[in-house]
Amino acid sequence: MIRVSNLKAAYGKIEALHGISFHVEKGEIVTLIGANGAGKSTTLKALMRLVPPEAPTVTGGDITFDGASILGMPAHRIVSDIRMTLAPEGRRIFGNLTVMENLQLASWSRKGESTDKEIQHVFELFPRLAERARQRSDTLSGGEQQMLAVGRALMTKCSVLLLDEPSMGLAPLIMYDMFRTLKRLNAEGLTIIVVEQNAHLALKVADRGYVLDTGEIVAEGPAEELLHRPEIKAAYLGG
Amino acid sequence: MEFFLQQCVNALQWGSFYALIALGYTLVYGVLRLINFAHGDVFMVGAYLAFFISTGLLAPEGMFGFSRELALILTIPLTMILTSLVGVTLERVAYRPLMRKGAHRLYVVITALMCGLILENGNLALLGASRRTLPELMDKAVYHIGGITVTNLKLFVVLAAILVFFILHFIVTRTRMGMAMRAVSWDKFALPLMGIPLDRVVVFTFVLGSSVAGLGGLLFAMSYPVLDPYMGATTGWKAFIAAVVGGIGDIRGAFVGGFLLAIVEVMVAAFLPSTYRDLYAFSILLLILWHRPTGIFGKPLTAKI
Repeated sequence: MIRVSNLKAAYGKIEALHGISFHVEKGEIVTLIGANGAGKSTTLKALMRLVPPEAPTVTGGDITFDGASILGMPAHRIVSDIRMTLAPEGRRIFGNLTVMENLQLASWSRKGESTDKEIQHVFELFPRLAERARQRSDTLSGGEQQMLAVGRALMTKCSVLLLDEPSMGLAPLIMYDMFRTLKRLNAEGLTIIVVEQNAHLALKVADRGYVLDTGEIVAEGPAEELLHRPEIKAAYLGG
Repeated sequence: MEFFLQQCVNALQWGSFYALIALGYTLVYGVLRLINFAHGDVFMVGAYLAFFISTGLLAPEGMFGFSRELALILTIPLTMILTSLVGVTLERVAYRPLMRKGAHRLYVVITALMCGLILENGNLALLGASRRTLPELMDKAVYHIGGITVTNLKLFVVLAAILVFFILHFIVTRTRMGMAMRAVSWDKFALPLMGIPLDRVVVFTFVLGSSVAGLGGLLFAMSYPVLDPYMGATTGWKAFIAAVVGGIGDIRGAFVGGFLLAIVEVMVAAFLPSTYRDLYAFSILLLILWHRPTGIFGKPLTAKI
């Protein structure tokens, strides 16, 4: 469904991705793992066609969705037309809006349609958000903010969800909850690409994985197999 | 007492002008964290546009030859629309390309200053130094309430400013576009991820701010019919200060700041030697800022400008 071929991306003159290739098929959970600065977030931002200075400029290669290049598309059309969105690193929820407003805003591209059903779905996945619907979202705890970030992404009615470090700063129990929810969403048909520093957890839930190192893919394979490869165990899974 | 109340009426009128301009400063700052220093000159352009539109509509030998009432009713929306085009053009031609390239906000602010100078001097080059006089668009009526005199024009100005305030407040707090504007002010980066075109939200913000400045220009020209290219620099700067004192980024702040500045100015001029009006007025505002650096409604931010 998504095919990235020989993708090169740079921040200014500094090249962050040196020609990476990978693909994601419909209904899969694919994870990108690797150390800090390996290019994981950069890859997701390039996929979303976000613009500098926060996102890189694509300097080579191609990204296709169902065979058609999406390089010329602005980010908001990736969301509204391709139905792919990103729950970014650090959550980036709109702290000056209420929980409900955050959710409503994300249904922008479906102007006029009723959003009650989707909001109910989000509240069913994350009951805590329902309790706090009228609250300003910067008063939420870290875990709740991550729930809102994912819930908000779902409100775009995405069929592909990119997640950048969803486990960051979460207590273990909440983290496992989050990944269980992702698993459930995947069972409902959502395609997921998840970037994680917690490689063990990511490989446990993913179907396939890619290992990035300084802007290049150094290993790939079924998640189960990556989990047991000695060199990956040593480098990313703490022995 | 009557003298004091009469001064209050005058202050309300001036406060309306300041508020109408300050609203544009505060909207753009609130959404983009950009101080659009060309905004005072957009107000000036609005006054000139009102002059050309109303003169054209009223010209007896022209193809229209409208009555004054009809001319006024048409001049209001036409001025607002054309002025908003000026604001949007500035955004499109000057600010957007810079921000696209990731330029620091300081460069955009300086570009805005420059755009203001271009508008002022462009006007001077185009129209010459002779001052223009706006035709009368309203039959003057004077009301006496107690010992105070109020003209229908003053009433019109103040009511217009109040109406604009409530409309803007409604847009920002109750509509989808307003929600998006508030979201941009918090985090520009995440907005496209919601499927929302950032540019459209920014353009809408400039349309709001500039059209209100255009209305301000028209009302100002109706009250003080002699126009000159530097009226945006003087009145516009004061309105900017009013926005800062009110707490830039907050619509209520622009409104309150505008009226506060006008009251201080008018009262200083009424009871103290008027030569020192600006000195006293701005010293008082400085004291307020000293006490509350973020303005009356402002909240501290980590990075300003």
